[in-house]
Amino acid sequence: MDKTPERIALSELDKEQMKTFSDFLLSYNRLSEMCFTDCVRDFTSRDVKDSEKTCSLNCMEKYLKMNQRVSQRFQEFQMLANENALAMEKKLRK
Amino acid sequence: MDMSQISPADQAKVQVMQEMEIEMMSDLYNRMTTACHKKCIPPRYSESELGKGEMVCIDRCVAKYLDIHEHIGKKLTAMSMQDAELMKNMTS
Repeated sequence: MDKTPERIALSELDKEQMKTFSDFLLSYNRLSEMCFTDCVRDFTSRDVKDSEKTCSLNCMEKYLKMNQRVSQRFQEFQMLANENALAMEKKLRK
Repeated sequence: MDMSQISPADQAKVQVMQEMEIEMMSDLYNRMTTACHKKCIPPRYSESELGKGEMVCIDRCVAKYLDIHEHIGKKLTAMSMQDAELMKNMTS
């Protein structure tokens, strides 16, 4: 017998929001992993040292800035590729 | 595109393929970000600002990554077309 309650169907908008949220969670986890590996190497003490904390926060901020730049360049590249594709199509139609 | 001339089945196919393409693009983006971060940002985080050299490195890294992506794509299509051709010749 089917005991699981029927799932309410999500609208397209909700689905998109969920996707954004899950992307955010994934990048959060990735960021923690990366900055932890790069900044915390000393396990002779239980406490997080100030230097480790600053390093991790800098690591996060820097990564976000890098991501912004990569995204800008990626968009520029895509726009160029789109323009080229349109120009090609025009040429072929003639 | 004029959707009225395309059968519903083909419309669904096109939609799935568009979704796959978006998924593929976001995967490419994530991989590229990870690769360029690894290559351009040394794991010493004494500062939260991007250095000048790091910025130049990122710009070049993105451009080069996408170039290589395109090259490999072209070569891959050429090779798979050749393969398909060969298979067709063998069976006929």
